[in-house]
Amino acid sequence: MKEPMSVEEVLKKLQEALGEALLSHEVREYTMGVKRKRTYRELWITIKPDAFRKTVEAIFALDYPHLHFIAGEDGGGETITMIYSFGVFHTHPWGELSITVKFDLPKENLVLPTITDLMIGAETNEREIREMLGVEFEGLKNKRHLFLPDDWPEGKYPWRRDEHGVEDMVKHTHRSVNEIRKMRGEE
Amino acid sequence: MAKTQYYVPVGPIHPALKEPIRVEARVEGEKIVEVDVKRGFAHRGIEYMGMKRNAIQTLYLSERICGICSISHPYAFVVTAEKALGIEAPPRAQYIRTIIGELERIHSHILWLGVVAHEMGFDSLLFWTWKGRERLLDILELLTGNRINYSVFMIGGVRRDIKESHVKAIKDMISYYRIFNEEMKEVFLSDPVYKARTRGVAQLSKKMALELNAVGPVARAAGVRMDIRQDIPYDAYADIDVRAVVPQDIVGEARGDAYDITMVRLYEIDQSLDIIEYCLDEMPEGKLMAIPNYVALLAKIRRTQGEAIGAHEAPRGEVIHYIKFDGKRDGPSVWKVIAPSYNNINTWAPLLLGAEVADIPIVVAYIDPCMCCNDRIAVVRDEDGRVIDPATLHRKAVEKTRKLREELGVRT
Repeated sequence: MKEPMSVEEVLKKLQEALGEALLSHEVREYTMGVKRKRTYRELWITIKPDAFRKTVEAIFALDYPHLHFIAGEDGGGETITMIYSFGVFHTHPWGELSITVKFDLPKENLVLPTITDLMIGAETNEREIREMLGVEFEGLKNKRHLFLPDDWPEGKYPWRRDEHGVEDMVKHTHRSVNEIRKMRGEE
Repeated sequence: MAKTQYYVPVGPIHPALKEPIRVEARVEGEKIVEVDVKRGFAHRGIEYMGMKRNAIQTLYLSERICGICSISHPYAFVVTAEKALGIEAPPRAQYIRTIIGELERIHSHILWLGVVAHEMGFDSLLFWTWKGRERLLDILELLTGNRINYSVFMIGGVRRDIKESHVKAIKDMISYYRIFNEEMKEVFLSDPVYKARTRGVAQLSKKMALELNAVGPVARAAGVRMDIRQDIPYDAYADIDVRAVVPQDIVGEARGDAYDITMVRLYEIDQSLDIIEYCLDEMPEGKLMAIPNYVALLAKIRRTQGEAIGAHEAPRGEVIHYIKFDGKRDGPSVWKVIAPSYNNINTWAPLLLGAEVADIPIVVAYIDPCMCCNDRIAVVRDEDGRVIDPATLHRKAVEKTRKLREELGVRT
């Protein structure tokens, strides 16, 4: 594992790598501890969606990261906000730096490059986002459902707050045995 | 002659795997040549439910995510919510939270040791370890009133104090576990049969652990020195220099197998006892909650626009929460939960590939899998088979806790 860098150094490296594609950044500070108060800092950046892969590669160049999570938020509008959170320089006391990458993905083109070629462990996260929000990951090999049943209807995404949401989820998740038999043509 | 391949399904209901998950293995003779892991048999959509409730209700909903470590998710939830709201818990509350978090770690590790012994066929070891674990559950019940789902954490503090009268009982428990843990180390680490069944089984290299995004004791056993309590300290952990327990510090090398993971867990019990002892001795005086009035707390949440990521090092690995408050509702508008098994289950497929059928239970058990999405519902019946209503159940629970207090000689 590499030696920790300060938030400013990391930010400088990301700015060099991304240039104009880094839209905004924020360094958040939190005080931790009771008797020995210390400041813990996090980096939050907003980027252009087409620079996503470049950003991830820049983070991987800093240190082999730990993927905290991939989350997404659908506010019901035209875009889905994607949130990727990485931790770098973990294994050092007080050293882990959390880098959170946010970007808006337009709903007409919900496609992202996969990061499973860099980190195999990201597969579960991508499969979950794919079935819950309908984001397609280019290059993701295993595209089976992770949590949802295999017979889940196409075009229904539980975390979407638009017409693709699950207003009629109960109807879909609780099919009766007779309905399933009918679907299979057994009756 | 071509070898015949057989298909061995393990789970979702199987003696070797008591969780709703399915491992499908294709075997040639005794060797596994293809593995597929299927999840989601009882996905409850807890995050979705949380986004419909207020933050205090969501906190207690998060406690129900995991059936064993019921403090891990609330811990991560309160840390995250406090970061998003800009609240700091009072010092005494921070120490109490750490004590309860560590008590949880000890009982979870002992539970795992019993489970892994059971998977290998040592059922007497299972009963012995679980009997030893009872003392800790009694202490948790003494402190919180419950053996599980303690409902003791709150955004900006805790709801119950650790009083002077409790301290003696906890210290007695610590001295009991110091001896018990030495006995466990002797039994697990020196036993030739246990060694033979675990050395080289489920061997995970450091590189694999990083690439598969493994967390907690699984990653530490592979030699990755990661621990949230060390990397991003919070609460009382920031006062104590917690260091990740890795096999290379104990025996000089990390092999990342089932034996190493047992060792890491056993030594972490010692570490937890030290942390509890420190917290009891150094616990500051003061109030328990930053905002004691729930109505005022919810009103603050309704006014807050903000988001945060928080983490807690649960017994099985890191639990990470992401919460966003949109300033319109008194609950989270986005809530994302990552439990340790979510990442650690990734290690099953590569480890099982090329292993033998007899190793399936050990590989499956070694990460301490918790599906965290088990749809849990409990119906309690009395001797006559009638369903007991919640009010009666609550009364019975209170009576039992009182009896326990009398037995341990603790006044409230």
